[in-house]
Amino acid sequence: MHRYPRWPIHLILVIVSFVMLVPFYWVIKTSITGENIFNYPPSLWPVDPQPFFYVDAWYAIPFPRFFLNSVIVAGMAIVANLIINAAAGFALTKSFPGKRWMILLLLACMMIPFHATIIPAYLITAQLGLLNTHLGLALPAFSHIICIFLFKASFDAIPPSLIQAAKIDGVPEWQILLKIMLPLAKPAVATNIILSFIWSWNDFLWPLIIVRDVEMQTLPLGLSTFLAYFEDTTGSLYAFCVMVLAPGLLVFFLAQKQFIEGLTSGARKG
Amino acid sequence: MEDWKGWLLNRVTITFGLIAVVVIAWNLYVQAHDDGILEGQVVNEAGEPVAGAKVVLSERTIVSMTSIAETVTDADGRFHFEGHDRHALVLTAEMPDLARSARMEVQLYFKNQNRRLPSPIVLSGAA
Repeated sequence: MHRYPRWPIHLILVIVSFVMLVPFYWVIKTSITGENIFNYPPSLWPVDPQPFFYVDAWYAIPFPRFFLNSVIVAGMAIVANLIINAAAGFALTKSFPGKRWMILLLLACMMIPFHATIIPAYLITAQLGLLNTHLGLALPAFSHIICIFLFKASFDAIPPSLIQAAKIDGVPEWQILLKIMLPLAKPAVATNIILSFIWSWNDFLWPLIIVRDVEMQTLPLGLSTFLAYFEDTTGSLYAFCVMVLAPGLLVFFLAQKQFIEGLTSGARKG
Repeated sequence: MEDWKGWLLNRVTITFGLIAVVVIAWNLYVQAHDDGILEGQVVNEAGEPVAGAKVVLSERTIVSMTSIAETVTDADGRFHFEGHDRHALVLTAEMPDLARSARMEVQLYFKNQNRRLPSPIVLSGAA
């Protein structure tokens, strides 16, 4: 029994959800009707919907190639994030000299925007000979400090007695991480996968800088090309937007529960 | 055994499995219907078939329209194109110096899709 009625909160949440979902609805509606966005009065419901604009967008640019590039880059980013962030998060659960400074340094680095480090990042990538390659595209997304802290918070919540028992049994550290910590930190793993996927998938600036060939472009870069070349293509343009957004939404919906758990696991006690 | 069930029967495997099935089914459908056959009929305003009308098939891109083939209708007013290899097409028909039709857009769901036009092309002003 609640002290206050819940319906006002639910009503506000419904209104806020509606406001946040309207742009998505509008994009999807325009992608199947091709209605000019400057039409007045705009129609609220789709008039004469059809999927042809998706076909048009598919053939207007090399969509499968861009999609493959995005998948490869996102896949590399996910794997690297899981390995590097889990290892770093595990290390931060240990006691070692300068741990406090290390955490402060990581927190300080979080405050430096990527745009401020983009020139050194470019020069390093060029020195490594990775310009215009999938590895070069994925390299800056190999680790995110916020994800390291997500793993740390998740590992901190695991009872130390479990780790001590494993140590007494002679289990090496890397096996403790792999076989004990990670299976118990599934929400953190899911959150890492989702965040690294979405950030890598939506990244525009870095690919714009290091990609030279059309064949190496990712989907957000393809979207900007589409915008630049074909201005009067409302339906196809919006269809392309949906095609770019859909994989990210799918991954989010598939791991939604773990994602929320992962984000909140460090925020509560017990 | 239970482990395998867990791996196979979870929402991730099922979702991506269903996507894979849809993609395979779609590609099989495309393979079976991609001869680029486009058929239809030309009629006059009274709905009677027009023989000997010139039908022009054009490709509509986002920025232009290019003629790619033309043919002449038979005694029943029917026409037939094959192997057009496009997905956005425009058809026009005319009887030189007599009548001309409005542009008819043909939107296909994949390149070279076989399609029989559901409604005829109407020549306006034909005798």
